[in-house]
Amino acid sequence: MLRKLLVAAALCVAGAAMASADDVSANEWDQTVAQAREEGRVNWFVWYLRDDLRRFVQPFEKKYGIAVTIPEGTADANAQKLLSERDREPGDIDVFTYGLNNFESLDITALFLPLDFLPEDEGRLASVSGEDGKSYILSFWGNQTGIAYDTSVLAQADLPQTAEDFARFWTEHPGKFGFNYENGGSGPSFYLNLMGAVAGVDMTSAAADGATMQSLQPGYDFFNAHADNYVVTASNADSIIRVSDGELWLVPGWEDHLAGLQNRGEVRKDIEFYIPEFGMSGGSNGVAIPRNAAHPAAAALLVHWLTSPEVQSEFNRVFGTAPMNAASDDSAALVSNTQRSRSTAWPSDELRKPVEEKFIETVILER
Amino acid sequence: MQMTAKAWAKVALLLAPGLGLILALIGTVIYMAVTQSFGYYNLSGESVFSLEHWAEMLDRRLYFRSVQYSLYIGVLSAVFSVALAYPLAIWLRKPFAGSMLIGTLLKAPLLVPGLVAAFLFINVIAYHGIVNQLMEALGIWDGPRRLQNDRYGIAVLILQTWKNMPFALLLLTGAVQGISDDVLDAARDMGAGSFTRFRKIIAPLSLSAMQAALVIIFIGALADFSFQVIAGPTNRQSMSQLMIYFQGHGRWHDAAVVGVTLMVLALIGSAVLAVLARLLVRGERVR
Repeated sequence: MLRKLLVAAALCVAGAAMASADDVSANEWDQTVAQAREEGRVNWFVWYLRDDLRRFVQPFEKKYGIAVTIPEGTADANAQKLLSERDREPGDIDVFTYGLNNFESLDITALFLPLDFLPEDEGRLASVSGEDGKSYILSFWGNQTGIAYDTSVLAQADLPQTAEDFARFWTEHPGKFGFNYENGGSGPSFYLNLMGAVAGVDMTSAAADGATMQSLQPGYDFFNAHADNYVVTASNADSIIRVSDGELWLVPGWEDHLAGLQNRGEVRKDIEFYIPEFGMSGGSNGVAIPRNAAHPAAAALLVHWLTSPEVQSEFNRVFGTAPMNAASDDSAALVSNTQRSRSTAWPSDELRKPVEEKFIETVILER
Repeated sequence: MQMTAKAWAKVALLLAPGLGLILALIGTVIYMAVTQSFGYYNLSGESVFSLEHWAEMLDRRLYFRSVQYSLYIGVLSAVFSVALAYPLAIWLRKPFAGSMLIGTLLKAPLLVPGLVAAFLFINVIAYHGIVNQLMEALGIWDGPRRLQNDRYGIAVLILQTWKNMPFALLLLTGAVQGISDDVLDAARDMGAGSFTRFRKIIAPLSLSAMQAALVIIFIGALADFSFQVIAGPTNRQSMSQLMIYFQGHGRWHDAAVVGVTLMVLALIGSAVLAVLARLLVRGERVR
């Protein structure tokens, strides 16, 4: 008897939790805000800059009286947790963050609440560089790869823009350009886009098949032909540190990473950033609310806050991110809008993995 | 005394906490790695016996270069650590004023985590680090030189030797201190110089400690990941690095092949090092 009662009670609790998660989308926004205050807390699973983000959300906590918990965890670990507890009611994750292009590996409609119940905001972006959030995901952190350069030795007019320019730069200044092939995506963004430019392959739309791999051969040959003249660094961070140290003049990097390091005084302020004419990959990180969120209203309020023009301006100012709301101020961005139009989408994982693997095996390890 | 079944059961029970841990934990991990390398425990498809992963790996230069590089780091790290530890162990054999302090300082690297050491070392050899500054100030170099991530893994060898030499010293000091003064004095009386005394007395009598140091350091350095990732050459991948690379790309079977290779190399390499050390020393033993 006792067992039956316990099971019934557990089902009631689960049902109530499920109902609240689904019902929040049917509420008026004022009701959602009131419910969020009642819930009093929200668990935001984000895998990077957690300490900085804990500080960043303090105004939200103060304004709404809602405690934001940002637990430790990598992107993959968070995704595995999301999947493993998808049938648990309620789950631990209230707001889930992932790279917008990584969301494609998840069953978005089954896992997340549609976000069309948030107050309308035409400036808000769900789609960046071809990745579509499908109204279940909102971009809140725009990131862009490009080239960081040392202005004390290079003028804007001298910056290489095309594959031919890079070949010339490498020949004229051997050992002054470096890129990473692991521990960060800026190096891979550089060589994937440059290989595409050399081989005349559109990496964003090319099929992941043998024909594409064969077409890319001139790209591999290009890097092998100049192997003695460029440096391979250990990571994104290593590249940036070495350009700031004066060892290298040009390195691929992330716009937000560079801006963050400069804001913290860890990298020289005169290191600037550009996107070459052949384009480099950009994208964003998105936020979504799992259907089994324990605090769905607070999660909705946090997502609304994160994607608002004011907070996006603040993200731009503090972290140097590309704003994900058209009404935001992007004056702290490291690249102009003209250059941002050169941003390309990342190749699909099906293409990227074999191309990168071949690059490591036939270019990096052959040096 | 005749062992009864009850006595055997008692022995088994007494051994269970230690032996059980080894068999249950290490055994299952080895079993999983081996079977996974043959296609079982497939995380994303059908688990069937297959030689495909081994065949594919044995056909790749990437794999052999990684094996070659890891063996290079493993063997040289072990040899350098022991070679440096021996003279220090002999020096510290007889206590003298300050010998305890020197011994403690020499063992200090054991307390520094490898990752911390690697980052500190990178700072020291950075483009504008103190090595470059010193060489420039002394007028030996015209300008800073690129020392980071050198292509021959010299930075990794320095770090491995720095980290492991104290361990070898710990083992060898005990063994060398155990050698009687009478034996060494007798050799000296018979006209044996320092090096001859080392070859014919000290090395043979501390052989077991030398073998233990060589084997343990070799296994650790063979499987190096942290030093390699931070300070190692970017045109080479250690086996651990390769294994993590495959695992990171969801290729668990390939990662298992590399993992099993690493275990087999550790086993064979240890045996070879121990035998070689014995052969080398035995050839020098006083007859």
